[in-house]
Amino acid sequence: MAAGPLSIKLRCTSWQQLATIYRRDLSRGSMFLKASSQPEIGTAVRIDLELPSATVIELAGKIAQHVVDAQRGTGVELALEPLPTKTIWLIESALAAENTVRGGAPRDASAQAAEVLADGGEVAQAEDELIAALEAEAESLKRLNPFLVLALGYEASDGDVRGAFGELTKRYHPDRFARYQSSRLRQLAAEIFILIRDAYRKLADETARSQVRAQLGIKQPRAKTPPPVRPTGPMPRIIVVPPKEPPKEAAKEAPKETKAEEPPRPTQYDAPTNPSGKSAAIASTQLARPEELLAVASAPAHVVDRKSGPVRRPQAATAVMPAQPMPVAAGEDGNNLDALVDQGKLDEAIAGYRAAAKKNPQDRSARAGIELVEGMRALAARDRLEAAQRFEAALEIDPSNERAARELADMRRQATNERKGLLSRLMGKKEGPT
Amino acid sequence: MTRIIGIDLGTTTSCVAVLDDKQVPRTLVASDGERTTPSWVSWSPAGEIAVGTRARRQAVTNPSATIYGAKRLIGRKVNAEDVAWFAKLAPFRIVAAPNGDAWVRVHGQPVSPQEVAAHVLRRMRQVAEEALGEPVTRAVVTVPAYFDDAQRQATRDAGQIAGLDVIRILNEPTAAALAYGAHRGADGRRIIAVFDLGGGTFDISIMSVEHGIFEVLATGGDTALGGDDWDRRLQERVVDEVFDKYRVDITGIPIAMSRLREVCETAKKALSSTAETQLALPFLANDQHGAPINYERTLTRLEAEQLTKELLERLEAPCLRALADAGIRAGDVEDVLLVGGMTRWPAVQATVERIFGRKPSKGANPDEVVALGAAAYAGILSGEADDAALLDVTPHDLGIKVGDSGFSVMIPRNSMLPVRARKLFATTSTDQKFVSIDVYQGESTELGKNRKLGQVVLEDLPPGPAGSVRVELIMTVDVESILGVTARELKTGKEASLTIRPSGGLSQREIVEIINRRRQEHSVTSRLPPGMVGNIVRVPTREQAAVLPDDDEK
Repeated sequence: MAAGPLSIKLRCTSWQQLATIYRRDLSRGSMFLKASSQPEIGTAVRIDLELPSATVIELAGKIAQHVVDAQRGTGVELALEPLPTKTIWLIESALAAENTVRGGAPRDASAQAAEVLADGGEVAQAEDELIAALEAEAESLKRLNPFLVLALGYEASDGDVRGAFGELTKRYHPDRFARYQSSRLRQLAAEIFILIRDAYRKLADETARSQVRAQLGIKQPRAKTPPPVRPTGPMPRIIVVPPKEPPKEAAKEAPKETKAEEPPRPTQYDAPTNPSGKSAAIASTQLARPEELLAVASAPAHVVDRKSGPVRRPQAATAVMPAQPMPVAAGEDGNNLDALVDQGKLDEAIAGYRAAAKKNPQDRSARAGIELVEGMRALAARDRLEAAQRFEAALEIDPSNERAARELADMRRQATNERKGLLSRLMGKKEGPT
Repeated sequence: MTRIIGIDLGTTTSCVAVLDDKQVPRTLVASDGERTTPSWVSWSPAGEIAVGTRARRQAVTNPSATIYGAKRLIGRKVNAEDVAWFAKLAPFRIVAAPNGDAWVRVHGQPVSPQEVAAHVLRRMRQVAEEALGEPVTRAVVTVPAYFDDAQRQATRDAGQIAGLDVIRILNEPTAAALAYGAHRGADGRRIIAVFDLGGGTFDISIMSVEHGIFEVLATGGDTALGGDDWDRRLQERVVDEVFDKYRVDITGIPIAMSRLREVCETAKKALSSTAETQLALPFLANDQHGAPINYERTLTRLEAEQLTKELLERLEAPCLRALADAGIRAGDVEDVLLVGGMTRWPAVQATVERIFGRKPSKGANPDEVVALGAAAYAGILSGEADDAALLDVTPHDLGIKVGDSGFSVMIPRNSMLPVRARKLFATTSTDQKFVSIDVYQGESTELGKNRKLGQVVLEDLPPGPAGSVRVELIMTVDVESILGVTARELKTGKEASLTIRPSGGLSQREIVEIINRRRQEHSVTSRLPPGMVGNIVRVPTREQAAVLPDDDEK
């Protein structure tokens, strides 16, 4: 049976619902779906989980069990593949962001009461969230070149490198995590510290730095720009020509993805219902019908963009850094557009990237540029989940898109800081009265 | 969560401090008003134990059971050069434990220096608990920068015996630099020197500091030079004068020597701030005719400096050597920090200025800065302060045996902790069944000269021609110097691993035995009136007079 995986679409209409699905189903790795027919056990499934923000998270799994249950109804039990850290981070940061946005709004009394009761559990949960944030951060740092790990420009001096190392050490040295219960936190901090330290060692002096620059294909450091995350000048960049692909339309180009986009088998599913039959949170999750799915897949621009930058990363993107510089595709235009991005002229920049992408669909840097700018717009609109996904997509299209890498690393660093702050406050609260 | 205290466990005196509510490190003062506690422990024949000043006062009458300088012995082998030197000098017996470690003999019983240090630490803990009014279970303890793994672990073990969880061992010069606030101030890398002339030892450390990151570049010093030597020079002078005038050798009269020692120490301290002081020893002894000797004279600073000139001269060479080891010139040092009571002496400060070509920085209290720095770092660990992180380094090369006698370094010494290294290995014969990886530490390219730490054996390798099976070896050292070694076969993912903690000489079982013994004895003593639970507690004589409680079990 060569058919692709069964495609299922789940839409969360509220954040609360997402939270329920996440805590009850995703985190334990399985999910019950009501279904009129029961596909073979072992059939692969791909679930597109649409969040209230209209962004889509892909989950993979297979049919594990046929369920015939008076209470739950007829359906299937899905075994989900472990969620990638990235996905966990996306969901958690979406939920966290949502909580902060709604901070002022009164929450329902039962939830508040539960929180008061939790106390110790609250700290433990905050630790778990900090762990997830650190995991995501470690993962994003692993993809960066040493300059980016230290959030430095390529022109960095000895002093800049040591300064960045010092600041990061103060934040990530395992001693900074000594007060928390979880030893996993210290392990992760050590992991990140080791990445930082290795980057520092690679950049410690000018000879070493020029070697790294040579490996990255950067000839001369540009004029000095302020080191950290938001540079004002154009960043040197490497443009990677797409691997040997037949010139197709952007939307269809990734051959691996074609399978996944075959129309789903006409199996009809009902919304998953709450096994206990208690409440409505899940019951209102909607499963799209095939026709809906097609509609969604082709309608909003960003969905199409996303498909061209598959979440499952192509091999090219897994490399920490490209082995050698590739011929430049975007040329001067690309540099000018990057400059527009740096100046914050996002509308002009995106128009430029779109034009470039239209002119040459193989221009990865242009397509990545579109995602990058969309991400920056989302960031400006405080939609961190969307922003993160956009930056991820940009990196998947063009792993050398530094701006996206920086933005992503920056967001994750920020997420870590917030989690750490939250945890400290919770611990302070707990310690306070004693 | 309880507060974490900082303890400077010194060769001659110890001090305890804590970060107060305003995030300022503060010395904790004992109920008797003492800001520092002599690191002395004594056992009376009846089994009474005393710590601190009371122990030190007994030294003259009970010299063989009054132990000081346990720090010189902790984690050391009895045949080490400076241990042998100390053994000749000390009035108590230093003996070899079965594993060759240096222990002391008290009333015929061998006692480990860890236990002696534990008594001092327990006393410091008690001082802290009384001052804070709350139980204390966690501490940062300082050690000299040159302490090796064994000495550091032995210090940790002493903490465990004293009921303290030693959450970090900190280098003394680093602690001092923290207390001086050397990590604040201007950006950029600065070189500082920490000049520590304490009661028993002289340590010089050259460090770099940048953005709150401290790095010890070189250490040096003289473990046989300290403030006590200055006292001794003054004592010798008085002994000579008494002999010249009265033809009486008072070195044979313990009480006279005890008084003389205290008077000379007081005079030495006084000369830090005054130009002259009185040495007054009425009724010091009797002369040949039985008449009392009333010794009294004025001692000027100038004369005292003349008497100890040779000691001052011994300060220079170690400093120059440390500078050379660090690869810098004296002029590169931007700040010299003074630690230790002897640095109050103007002549010592002048010597420092001459060596480094700049005026040294004087802290408020050189006896306390190390403890204050330890308290500051305790604050960082408990999350209360966040302006510094300290980087420790691996003291030795870590590697594995290759071939018959080769040593392949995986983690070079001076690597910042935590650290991880990874290497790939291939099998050397067809259908090899297992690989065995021997882990060594040391600096020699000859395997035999390095110390074997352990062995990892990975069995059931998949069959295949030589070189076809790959084994990945990952070596990590965490911030507490705990070494982890994992070997993994890449095809099957099969793993074998090993965790090596440094050993301080006592096994965990021995430590637990000591703690249990103490607990048993304590069950007898806990019925004593509360007033007795102070420095001295009487316990029934047992076959082991060594371990005696001096506070409540917490």
